[in-house]
Parts: sequence; C-alpha cells; structure tokens
Amino acid sequence: MRPIFASLALVAALAACRGGDARGPATGTRQAPSAEPPPAVRHDEHVFAAGRVPPAAALDNPYRGDSAAATQGEKLFTAMNCDGCHGGGATGWVGPSLADGRWRYGGADAEIFQSIYYGRPHGMPAFGGLIPREGIWKLVTYLRSLPPPSDVPTESWK
Amino acid sequence: MLPLRLPCRVVLACSMSLCVCAATARAAAQRAPATSRAASRADGQWTMPARDLAATRYSPLARITTANASRLHAVWTFSTGVLGGHEGQPLVVGNTMYVVTPYPNVLYAFDLGTEGYPLRWKYRPAVDPAAVGIACCDVINRGATYAGGKIVYNLLDGHTVAVDAATGQELWNTKVADVSRGETTPMAPFVVKDRVIVGASGGEFGIHGWVKGLDLETGRVVWTAYSVGPDSEVLARAGTFRPFYDRGTDLALRSWPRDAWKTGGAPVWGWMAYDSTLDLVYYGTGNPAPYNPEQRAGDDKWTASVLARRPGDGSLVWAYQFTPHDSWDYDAASEMILAELTIGGARRKVLVHFDKNGFAYTIDRATGEVLVAKPYVDVTWAKRIDLKTGRPVLDSSKLTGASRGNVKDICPSLEGGKSPASPAAYSARTGLFYLSTNNMCMDYQASPVAHIRGTPYIGAATPYHAGRGGNMGAFIAWDAATGRTVWKIDERYPVWSGALATGGDVVFYGTLDGWLKAADARTGRVLWKFKVGSGVVGNPITYTGPDGRQYVAVYAGIGGDWFLLSGDVRSDDPADVRPPADFARDLARHTSQGGIVWIFGL
Repeated sequence: MRPIFASLALVAALAACRGGDARGPATGTRQAPSAEPPPAVRHDEHVFAAGRVPPAAALDNPYRGDSAAATQGEKLFTAMNCDGCHGGGATGWVGPSLADGRWRYGGADAEIFQSIYYGRPHGMPAFGGLIPREGIWKLVTYLRSLPPPSDVPTESWK
Repeated sequence: MLPLRLPCRVVLACSMSLCVCAATARAAAQRAPATSRAASRADGQWTMPARDLAATRYSPLARITTANASRLHAVWTFSTGVLGGHEGQPLVVGNTMYVVTPYPNVLYAFDLGTEGYPLRWKYRPAVDPAAVGIACCDVINRGATYAGGKIVYNLLDGHTVAVDAATGQELWNTKVADVSRGETTPMAPFVVKDRVIVGASGGEFGIHGWVKGLDLETGRVVWTAYSVGPDSEVLARAGTFRPFYDRGTDLALRSWPRDAWKTGGAPVWGWMAYDSTLDLVYYGTGNPAPYNPEQRAGDDKWTASVLARRPGDGSLVWAYQFTPHDSWDYDAASEMILAELTIGGARRKVLVHFDKNGFAYTIDRATGEVLVAKPYVDVTWAKRIDLKTGRPVLDSSKLTGASRGNVKDICPSLEGGKSPASPAAYSARTGLFYLSTNNMCMDYQASPVAHIRGTPYIGAATPYHAGRGGNMGAFIAWDAATGRTVWKIDERYPVWSGALATGGDVVFYGTLDGWLKAADARTGRVLWKFKVGSGVVGNPITYTGPDGRQYVAVYAGIGGDWFLLSGDVRSDDPADVRPPADFARDLARHTSQGGIVWIFGL
C-alpha cells in the first residue's frame, strides 16, 4: 500500500539513524541481552498481560545530552509523523504536549523510550517495530532537550 | 499498526423489525393533524443537519424579528458532560430534541413538552477508544439526521448507527470505516429517500477516501464510491459521467503518480445537498495526502473537488476540481448550498460553495460549469479563477513543496477562508448567503514524509498569522450572483460557527470567545449577544416549541482545531499543559473547553 517514494523516504530516514550510530553503542553497556524489550505490543496489553510494568529502569540512553543526536531526533519527529499527533515542537495536538515537563507515563529517558517502543493507550502506536532502537533514543534525546516553559503552572494575562 | 479491540457489535435483526413496526405506527399517529397544521409543524422542526436537502440552514420561522431579537434570553441549558469540540447541531423532531456529543458519541433525547426538558432516554454506544488517536483534529461529531422514525449518526470509530427515535433502542450498527487505516467518521450522515450516505475523515492519515450508500432500513452497504483511483472504483461509468471541463477515462488515476492515489486522501467529512429533480447528491472532497505536494505530481483528481452522484447506485455524474494539485491543504469539504439565482439576466439553478481556498464558487448544478468565482477573503495563492478552463491562475511564488523551503504569507491559511466545519446559510428572502470567515495566512514548510498505515501522513509545518487588518475573523453576507460581500461584522478571533438564517430576517452565529450573536440579515447590525460559557464551533438552529413559541438552540464547547491550536483552553489533564496559539495568545482568557446545550427564546 505504501507509495514507492514514501517508502524510500522512510528508508532514507531510518538509514540516517543507522548511519549516525555506526560508531557506537547501540545498547547500553549495563544492559544484558536478556533485558532486550520483547516484540512491540501496545503498552496496556503488555502491562495487563504480563501483570507487571516493562523493565524501564534497565535501559540506558546512549545519546544522553548529545545535541547532535537531539537534532537528528527532531528531524525524525517530523519524518515519522510524531508531529502529526503531538504537534510542531511537540507542544501538543490530538496527542499530549511532550514539551511541558509533565509526563503521564514517566519522564525518565528509559520511560520515554518505553512509551515510544510499546505505545500507550488511547492512540499512541507502538513504534518498536518501525523505528530502530537508536532512532527511538534520538527521539528521547530530542524530547529531553526541550525546556519546559516557565508559565506551565501559572498562565497570566495583562 | 494499531491493534484494534473492537467491541462485539451484534445487529439484533429480530427486535429491529419489531422496532421498525412500532416506529411506523407512532409516525402514522403523529401524521394525523390536518395538512396546514402539519405544514406549520414541519416549519417548526429541524430534522436534518442543514434543515433541508438544499443545505440552506434557513428556517421560515418569523416570530423572532429584527424588532424583538434584543429581548432574547436563555430559557434552558444542559451540560453534555463531554469536553471535545461541540460541532454540529441539535435536531428537533416533534416534541423531542436530539443531541449527539463528541466522542464518546452519547445521543440524548430531551422531552421539550415537559418542564425542565428531562431526558426521554440516552443512548451510550460502545465506541473504540483507539479512534481518539486517529482523529486528526479533535474528537468532534457533526451531528445526526432523522429519517423514517430513526436517528442516524456516525460514531467516531467508523460505525454508522440507527437508533429508534422514540425509544432509543439501537436498530442497526454498521462498520463503514477502518480505524486501523486512519479512517474516522465524525461527519453527519445524509439521507436521501432510502439511502444513508456517509464518508470518512483521514486526509491527514493517507486514507483512500470514499463515500458509501447504506440502506436506511437495514444499514447494509449498497455501494462504495472512492474519490480517487480507477473509474471502476470512482464509479465513473461511460455514458453517465460527463464533467464540464475534463475529458477521458481514469482521470482520477492518471492524474497521480503510480500508486500514490492509494494513500492519496480525498476524504469526505463535510456536508451534502440533494436536488430531487436532477436526482443528484453533491458533496466536496478533502485534501490530497501528504501535504508535501512533491510526493504526488499531477492534478490529484478528485481531491479538493465537488462530486455529483446518483444516490441510488453512487454513479458519478459530474465532478469539478476547485484546487488542482492542492499544495496548501485546501479541502473542498464545505457545504454545497442549492439556490436559484439571477445571473446575467437569466434564472439559474446553482450550487454555491465557499472553498477553503478563499474563492466562493457559483456553479450550474446540472452541468458543473463555474458561473462565478470570486475571493470572499484575501487570497494570495492564486490571482483568479479562469472561467473558461475552470482552473485557478496561480501565483508561482506561493507553490509549496519540500524543495521550495519555507514559503511565506500564503492566504488563506489551511484553516480556510471559511472552515468547512462552519456551514453557511442562505435566505431566499434576502437573496444573500451568510458565513463565518477566517482572516488568517500561513507559512508552509513541506518535508518528505513516510506513510505508515494508521498514523499521520502530513509532511508540512504551517504556522499561522493574522491577515490584513488584524481581525482574525468576520461574519459576512455574500451575494453569490455577482460575487461580492454585502456587509461584514469584524471579529477578533477566527469565526468557526455555522450560520442560521430565519424568516424574521435575523441571522445567528457564534464566536470562538463564546458569544452567540443575532444580526439583521439585511444590514449586518448586531441586535443581541450573549456569552454562552465556551467558544462556539457548533451551528445554531431554530424551532417551534410545543408552546408555539420560536426558540434558538446552539452548542457551546470550543474544540476542533481551535482547542488544538490554542491548547491552553484545556485544563483537564495535569500531565498535558499547552502553550497558547502564537497567533491568538489571549483566547484562553475568554474561554475554556466544555459542552453545553443552550436554548434561547423571547
């Protein structure tokens, strides 16, 4: 069903992620192979089927604080249509704002990774099978680079 | 990509036939009064979204006049308990008012004959919450329609339901759209004789747009007509399909790059009209997908077009494309209002359409020939419409695409010179059309984008700014015979409510900052206004109550694009705090979300 051009664009976007990762740590050094996330399923199914939350704490962001990775993550945010739900600048559209410093499912790097990888209830797809792990970490790095605005708790008018 | 857990939907065939019989008996009993009384009773009802098949949103009721409108006051309110954008309009059938909420699409039936208007019943359908993430622009619903003793409407998750108007029992429930493909169904169904016509949204998800014709009695899908693709899928049949400006076969296939049409959008989510003499249903199609036009070279027919079909079998009779190779998200989903106008000295049967692209079109509705096409707001993307070819004369500096970078100052913005979500009204008494308009422009930065089934497929960043003069909206009266604005009421914010015209020469509309206003239909003088508690994105109606008095009803409940753009009008989620829209930083000072049904009287 995919148009050829769009498929190429997808491959190109993903290749860019892989290219950026050639040097490096695809997985965190503290992470044992057995800690690999299982195949992508929706968050709610995963939690309710297994009866426990995903092993978020066992995942490390290889790009933490890396501004180049954040820039690549920002491009990926558009190329993978994240902005189609979460809005330009991740400030919210039909999906919630990811730039307000508030997180329904946790704002630690690994928790954001889990949200993207597994999806979340009410519309967030599981991108675990669609975006390589490195790409997801770049998205996490981009989102973590966004400073929450100062008027989040109190908005006032003159 | 999105695993669906659809609830089990069982159509109860046996009880359905019983309900039909019961409803028919009741309907017969209600038909008993003499003809003249029945006619005045019909005048006092509002049984379909635009009140009549010509989509005029005109009521002959004339007790509320320009002389007494200032005495209007609230007589009743009801909180719907739902926060999403309250587009659409109530229906009034006999002594009952019907209200459909945004997702989760509750249907309320109020008894107007009893003090306080208590509910007769409410119908709470099972709606798949996965649809919430697939709705491009808030979880709105554009309303129900009444036919043959049934209230028919669409659930957000791709189901069309028919409910017994008297009892609230579900009569049938048909899956028409597939959420996993990015299809949702907020539009109001349109009923012609025994056919229920529905379409799906999803121009932002790369759907393969369609309309379907269902059987009113059973809900069975009788035909499916796609907006794009080969003639066999578009239902363009040799000998039947005669567009005015185009020739040849497979136009909706050959005007696309190979296979791009399969994810090319052209959703159907607006309003329909029907001419019983010509036996034609008219409706507009939405934008092509994705927004980056370089991924779909060609005209991309029949996106951003008006299509005329036979309701019985769906055959396409003519089509006209307002915006070939749309590069600005100019959906043509706005209503097609049927009227008889004198143009160049001749009486013409026309349809009038206010396109998102900023031009108002007056079209011969038998042939599809464009008779008048003039801008009703500031337009920069095109210089004019060439009536010989039917095509816009473009300003090449406003063409968009990933290779063209950030293209500045395109007017109107992709919210449209008028939103299709806010339908216009037409009064044959004044000969004028009344509509809410947006005075906004945009920049447009397209980028290559990948299609992943069931997820957004857009590829453009499009920030808005106010147009010339700074007022972001207006409510105007338009002469469609000559193509000119007759009067105009400036509004600070974009105007996003539908219009209502009445036999008392009073017109009604609502504003985003929460006012319902009444104006003189001939002069545009504001006669009355009232602050209704939340921004108005719904469409006012009028009806005669059981006491013989004329009432006006409207929803308050800001939503649709406006709650999304001005995210700070929502306060329901501590983990989702949004900034104001950069072009309307103080809208949240005047309104926040919340659905309320209002009724006003003298």
